[in-house]
Amino acid sequence: MSSRTGKPGMRSAAWRISLWATLAFACGTMLVFVFLHRFVANDIQRRSDAWLSGEVEVLGDVAQRTPKDALYDRVVGEVAELAGREVPDKIQSENTSNDSVFFLQRGTDGSMKLWVGPGNGEANLQAIRTASIPTGRPMDLEVSGHRTPFRVASIRMSDGSSIYLGLSERDERRVLKNLRLRFFLLWVALVLLGFGIVFFTTRRMLSHVRKITDAASRIGSSDLNTRVPTTLRNDEVAQLALTLNHMLDRIENSMRQLHTITDSLAHDLRSPVTAIRGKLESSLSAASEGEQAEAIVSAIDELDRLTDFLNKSLDVAEAKADALRLNRTAIDMDDLLRVMVDLYEPSMSEKGLHVNYSGNGPVRIVADAALVHRMIANLFDNELKHVPAGCHIEIGLQAEGETAMLRFEDNGPGFAPEIRPHIFERRVKGRGSNGHGLGLAFVEAVVRAHGGVISASNHDGDKGARIDISFPLASNEYVASSPVAASGAN
Amino acid sequence: MRLLLIEDELDIQSFLRCSLEEAGYKVDVAADGKTAERIAVEGYFDVLVVDLGLPDQDGISLILRLRQLGVKAPVLILSARRSVDDRVRGLEQGGDDYLTKPFALAELLARLRNLIRRNNVPANEATRLRVLDLELDLLRREAIRGGEMLQLTPQEFVLLEYLCRNAGRVVTRSMILDQVWGMRIQPDTNVVDVHIYRLRGKVDGKGLQPLIRTLRGVGYVLKDR
Repeated sequence: MSSRTGKPGMRSAAWRISLWATLAFACGTMLVFVFLHRFVANDIQRRSDAWLSGEVEVLGDVAQRTPKDALYDRVVGEVAELAGREVPDKIQSENTSNDSVFFLQRGTDGSMKLWVGPGNGEANLQAIRTASIPTGRPMDLEVSGHRTPFRVASIRMSDGSSIYLGLSERDERRVLKNLRLRFFLLWVALVLLGFGIVFFTTRRMLSHVRKITDAASRIGSSDLNTRVPTTLRNDEVAQLALTLNHMLDRIENSMRQLHTITDSLAHDLRSPVTAIRGKLESSLSAASEGEQAEAIVSAIDELDRLTDFLNKSLDVAEAKADALRLNRTAIDMDDLLRVMVDLYEPSMSEKGLHVNYSGNGPVRIVADAALVHRMIANLFDNELKHVPAGCHIEIGLQAEGETAMLRFEDNGPGFAPEIRPHIFERRVKGRGSNGHGLGLAFVEAVVRAHGGVISASNHDGDKGARIDISFPLASNEYVASSPVAASGAN
Repeated sequence: MRLLLIEDELDIQSFLRCSLEEAGYKVDVAADGKTAERIAVEGYFDVLVVDLGLPDQDGISLILRLRQLGVKAPVLILSARRSVDDRVRGLEQGGDDYLTKPFALAELLARLRNLIRRNNVPANEATRLRVLDLELDLLRREAIRGGEMLQLTPQEFVLLEYLCRNAGRVVTRSMILDQVWGMRIQPDTNVVDVHIYRLRGKVDGKGLQPLIRTLRGVGYVLKDR
């Protein structure tokens, strides 16, 4: 199995975790600021309102006491101007004239009695007329010609006139705008910093997880003795590595047990078979031609079949447990199939079968040569035994992408419908087959052990069987670094 | 030829001893690693036959130990194990050979001959082989019998060459598969027989003395007298 764990990029867990964490962090800090901003804005408002109310009362008092003579305008105007110089939160503007404060006294008939402030005050008077400002409580007043509204407090005099004191909210807004800007810059910096810290720490942590995944995926059934990397830290990731390694220990142990069992079974059965075969051969050379020799010959044949059966069943058993031991070398399948066709062609034409191999150029896989040889021989034996005379057998091999595709096709009777779903199981064989029903189970076992895929099907109308096998191709580095196993003669 | 047989199973030991003596070897026997070590160091042997599963030690460790002790004779490893160990492969590359149990006697003898020949005389690179009235030109890949050129396919020529090189000796089907096609497989069909049958049709023409003999249950032999 080959795991493709390239650069994780935008889809990595580290990326997602930091994105969500940053989002939560950004929302939280933003919320805090909104509250802070409201608090500050209210406080500024409260302070300027207090000032306005106080000043308007003082001015009202001054206006009350000042006799309404020729100097009235001047006295009240001076007082109003002096008051305007003590505006809270005032930002010193370039021009010396104070344009953030106005003082207006309106007569009972609604006309302007006194004006202190920038311009002639007509616009302000117009705005005050339409807005009707209650005494005591300051309120906002939009004045045409000014971008920011004025905060205006008023007081009613005993003579029926009203005094209005207006303070531009320009400075207040500027303070708040400054606050917002600074906060925003700080917020962006904080969020970026937070994202960076979260991203790099999670990535460091997850890179270790990725190392574990890589190592674990590289541990196939063939090299169970390697382990995933562990760290000295005692965190969750280290625990994961340790747990994985413990699990691998157990798997390796049961695998070793299985190998011990199959090996000793093979050994215990092969030794007596060797002795029996040897004795039979000795007595064969002693016996002359005739019935006795015939019996010995058939006994030897049976013994060889028994040995073959034993080998195959143990191989199939191990492969079913994903425990087949492989001695991998680079094999050219094209070369191998040509040799096999050469080997089997006479037997096939003797039986009236036509075999045709079509391949185009070398197709290299990395596999256990002995097992693959036996697997291909099994496929040929299978065709030879089950396809009736006069049929054609087509064998095709080609490299498609990263797989080698091998196909055995014939126009014989095909797989019997009752066995087709179980064709790769042990002891499943067609009617009239005198084999031990291990052939295709063995083929499947070998294919699986090498990470390949096998499928068996019938052509349309159940005429002819077809077996498709795909193997992962050898990577280029492997072919370059290892000698191709010789499959030709001598 | 002196041969040391290191095998602990008495059944196998006795029939191997008989068969090897019959084949002309002078056979010494050891049933465990310790005895084998002693005998091998004391005497000179042309070839060793070592079973991998010994009671007191692993066969490969024994071979490596004997090599350390200066025993240079080639070794034929007998193994009842299923997979061929990497260390066996190492030894194989070093000039030794292995055979899995059960085996045909003919194959055992052939492998022993090969080992001894490989070890003593450098393979004699003859360009012509002659067996009775059959003559093979190995360079031009031509076979002539009784003055007539045989029409052989390249594969048939390789097969005939192998039979000629082993003329007078039995070759089994698995030996033919191994040596001619380069595969250690056990087909449960008669593929090799058909090849031999075709070859025989070309080599043993009408009126000629049949050269290729079938020994039922064992294999084939090319007659050399």
